[in-house]
Amino acid sequence: MLFAFKNITYSFGFAQIRQMTVSATLNSGQVLIIRGPSGAGKSTLLRVLARLQPCADGEVFLQGRNWSQIPGTVWRSKVHYLAQKPVLFDGTVADNLVRPFEIRVNSKKKFDPHLAKKKMQELLLADDLWEQDARTLSGGEAARLALIRALLTDPEIIMLDEPTAALDERSRDAFYAVLSRWLAGRDKAAILISHNNEYGHLSCISFLDLAASRGGE
Amino acid sequence: METSTIPISNFQLAFSIILILIAGGISSFLKLGLLKPLIWGTVRTFVQLTLVGYALTYIFKINNFLLITVIVTLMCYIASRTSVKRAPNVHDYPSVLSFVSLWASTFLVGSIVTVLIISPEPWYSARIVIPIFGMILGNTMNGISLSLDRLYGETRSRSAEIETLLTFGATPWEAVRFNVREAIRAGMTPTINSLMVVGLVSLPGMMTGQILGGADPREAVRYQIVVMLMIAAAVAIGCLMLVGLSYKRLFNSDGALQPFVLKSRK
Repeated sequence: MLFAFKNITYSFGFAQIRQMTVSATLNSGQVLIIRGPSGAGKSTLLRVLARLQPCADGEVFLQGRNWSQIPGTVWRSKVHYLAQKPVLFDGTVADNLVRPFEIRVNSKKKFDPHLAKKKMQELLLADDLWEQDARTLSGGEAARLALIRALLTDPEIIMLDEPTAALDERSRDAFYAVLSRWLAGRDKAAILISHNNEYGHLSCISFLDLAASRGGE
Repeated sequence: METSTIPISNFQLAFSIILILIAGGISSFLKLGLLKPLIWGTVRTFVQLTLVGYALTYIFKINNFLLITVIVTLMCYIASRTSVKRAPNVHDYPSVLSFVSLWASTFLVGSIVTVLIISPEPWYSARIVIPIFGMILGNTMNGISLSLDRLYGETRSRSAEIETLLTFGATPWEAVRFNVREAIRAGMTPTINSLMVVGLVSLPGMMTGQILGGADPREAVRYQIVVMLMIAAAVAIGCLMLVGLSYKRLFNSDGALQPFVLKSRK
């Protein structure tokens, strides 16, 4: 068991605040797909698991270690959350890809430009984007760049909030291929929020339906 | 060059009311709605400054070290509350943090100026200490107010980028380092600008006062140079301290952004 969350109890919503309790486990190579109508607290759950916001109760385990034993910065570098709206930093595409490696917690990781360029190709991003200002990318390009940036830092668990929402069919297939290759044979797992029922080449899929488990409180 | 102050008599002082009548006339002619605050402001100016005049005469006469310390600390307290109130992006900010920054920067720089540079006899002479510390405070107050406002405003408008850095494992400091720099820059810029144009665009208030008071302009200039540099130093220290003490308040104990940063301003 690579990753598990037990009785995570969190509140969400703005006009009407609701509370929810959920549990799930993930093995290496597994993909957990979180489904549910909008407003069901899917993004909030991922934010809680990434320790971007606190929860009322519950425990999360990564490689057998309780999350309370791991500092927030280390945790977030291992359990990475990618928001639905891609956020790019000032600078070129290359600057954006290098930026996470300048953070102290990642100092042992090495940025590999060849791997980055290879990933760009796989996700159908042209080579000449490398020196382009990242703020001038289209929505779909920005989403793919953010995905590549997240994959390059090689977290243990990658949590993607509707990663294919801004992608056309071709790049969506490319994305699933890249993700399944990233997972294959390694001690990694992914959690996806997804609205469509196409999961391309992904294997080892399990589902967590949030609307169904509503009413923890 | 033996000159002295030309005193303003009560009658002459009352004559200055004409000036406020001009401003009031413009306000009512254009219906600016500023007549009431203008009158109230005028009354307060007369009353506050008259009282301060008497108080300073008394304080200068007894010239007691403890009393001076209490007064300067009180000035710091008022300035710290004002600086937080003047930052529209900032809510629920503990004025104790701005007080600490103001107090430390003012006492550090003020002591250097009075003890090492001006060295009056005794060194805590109220006639020197109170105006010098007052000038430092007034400027530092504006500086930290700008810094604090910029820190909160920038963090809020760049919250998505800051949070993205956090998702890669950045510490709060790594995530806001850029905004912290911007905030300190914002606080120091007016002071640095004034270093550039001083004497060319306007004569600073202190120098004007000394010259009107009959001092040799060359002497007044020397004082003014000291004052400008001490203000620059105090503003730099004050902004640095305040931003250093404040940026962690934008994060929770786990190093994630506080919810108020992620929401729009109310």
